[in-house]
Amino acid sequence: MFVKELTKKYDGKPVVDSVTFDIPKGSVISLIGPNGAGKSTVMGMISRLIAKDTGMVEFDGKDIGKWKSRELAKRLAILTQTNQIQMKLTVRELVAFGRFPYSGNRITKADEAIIDQAIEYMELREFEDRFIDELSGGQRQRAYIAMVIAQDTEYVLLDEPTNNLDIYHATNMMKIVRKLCDELGKTVILVLHEINYAAFYSDYICAFVDGKIARFGTVEEVMTKETLSEIYKVDFEILRISGKPLSIYY
Amino acid sequence: MNTLAYRSNLRKLGILAVLALVAAAAYMLVDVNFANERLFQYSMRIRSPKLIAMLITAFAIGGASVVFQSIINNTIVTPCLLGMNSLYTLIHTSVVFFAGSGSILAVNTNLSFAVDLILMGIAATVIYGYLFRKTRYNILYVLLIGTVLTSFFSSVQSTMTRIMDPNEYDTLLSTLVASFSNINSEIIVFAVIVLAAVAIVLRKDLALLNVITLGRQQAINLGVDYDRCIRRLLIGVTLYIATATAMVGPISFLGLIIANLSRQLLQTFRHSQLILGSALFGMAVLVGGQLIVEHVFSYAIPVSVFITVGGGLYFLYLLLTRRKA
Repeated sequence: MFVKELTKKYDGKPVVDSVTFDIPKGSVISLIGPNGAGKSTVMGMISRLIAKDTGMVEFDGKDIGKWKSRELAKRLAILTQTNQIQMKLTVRELVAFGRFPYSGNRITKADEAIIDQAIEYMELREFEDRFIDELSGGQRQRAYIAMVIAQDTEYVLLDEPTNNLDIYHATNMMKIVRKLCDELGKTVILVLHEINYAAFYSDYICAFVDGKIARFGTVEEVMTKETLSEIYKVDFEILRISGKPLSIYY
Repeated sequence: MNTLAYRSNLRKLGILAVLALVAAAAYMLVDVNFANERLFQYSMRIRSPKLIAMLITAFAIGGASVVFQSIINNTIVTPCLLGMNSLYTLIHTSVVFFAGSGSILAVNTNLSFAVDLILMGIAATVIYGYLFRKTRYNILYVLLIGTVLTSFFSSVQSTMTRIMDPNEYDTLLSTLVASFSNINSEIIVFAVIVLAAVAIVLRKDLALLNVITLGRQQAINLGVDYDRCIRRLLIGVTLYIATATAMVGPISFLGLIIANLSRQLLQTFRHSQLILGSALFGMAVLVGGQLIVEHVFSYAIPVSVFITVGGGLYFLYLLLTRRKA
């Protein structure tokens, strides 16, 4: 996937300003940056949730706008934070929606098997007949991830997946992200606020400031004292734990 | 998948269908003089258009309400609460007001209905489509603006009737205050055609309703062309409401009652079942209600009064108990 000169303006003010980068396949890429830097907007435009003003998002040699929405849904999945459902829906029914791009409302035998796998993978077997609105935040998040797995896409986009989760669930979430990439071979792009999660669990980091890319590179390249201080405008120290750079800020 | 709940829902729908049938049969046959053939035929001729109109109305309002609630992702809203009924009344009045009661547009019932439908489709799509986009489907704003619009449409409409020629108004009134005792039966055939055509044209969009209730972002993620689909469904809802209003006049809370009863009874996301349930509830409630009105209260209290009173209470109940959702 290739992003070229992507721009979005709200009321004439550029929120995302001519952003260009190449998304390496089969890796975990974290988008970080201060509030209002435009990372979520970039994510939204990559996933077609937000209309872009100019520029292009090239996906398999074709601009994302030229893809049939349904075809794209088989290749690229996005999970955002605003998921409120008014319906009475069980976990299994939610996961089954992941097969919608393939089979519509009629779930086939093959779909059932994939749904089963996804539920098993996210360890949701005991909850599968519970209603979504009766689950805790962490369980609900896992149910949505299971749905994304059932959707069986090459690319998975996650918008702040650790938001509103406690340390235990957030860390688990990041481990799942790693597994999606390592075990299932997906390319995972996520927006993160916690720099250390980004450092510990991703391969590449793309740092945004004021709608522009401030730095894009491997974790080692971005996680330096100077770069981070420049991006966030606070003092940083870098420690090394388990061979990974972790930051302390104050 | 979840076949148990699915089958139990089918059984519930079966029971509802039987209920609706019993109500319909009772409505046709209670107090009929079987001995005298001419009297029997007379009653049938009077009752059958009414029954058909009620069944059509129940289907239109039941279906439209469920679809509308799913579009806007909230179960305490109905098209009527947003003033679609008053908009229809306003449009109907304006046509007579500007074209005159003698014009072909007002005299020919079917033509007048067609003109109303077209105007209604355009006006509602522009107004409500804009409203939803502008408020980003924020339910509180939509409700508030809807309430304001309802009184706005009614005020404009009543202003028109006040400055109208009294004779014109007299002709208008007979088509305006349609009710279950005064059903506009001339348009039944046309209405059925409209409802069926809309359902056929929108069948693909209707199949997307299950996914649409997951919210805009999930729907797009799963490959739904969201904005286009919502626009098309909204036009459909408008036409259904307009048809129902043209035939039996505005019944504010019916949609709210039957759509929510259906949701409560079936507890599912499957719209094929929800819509069917809602329509069947509507048939049972309307026909049963009218039966009681005609034979117990001998027309003293119109059925819409019961529905408004009952619906109002039910609305409050829903508001107060659903807070957590």
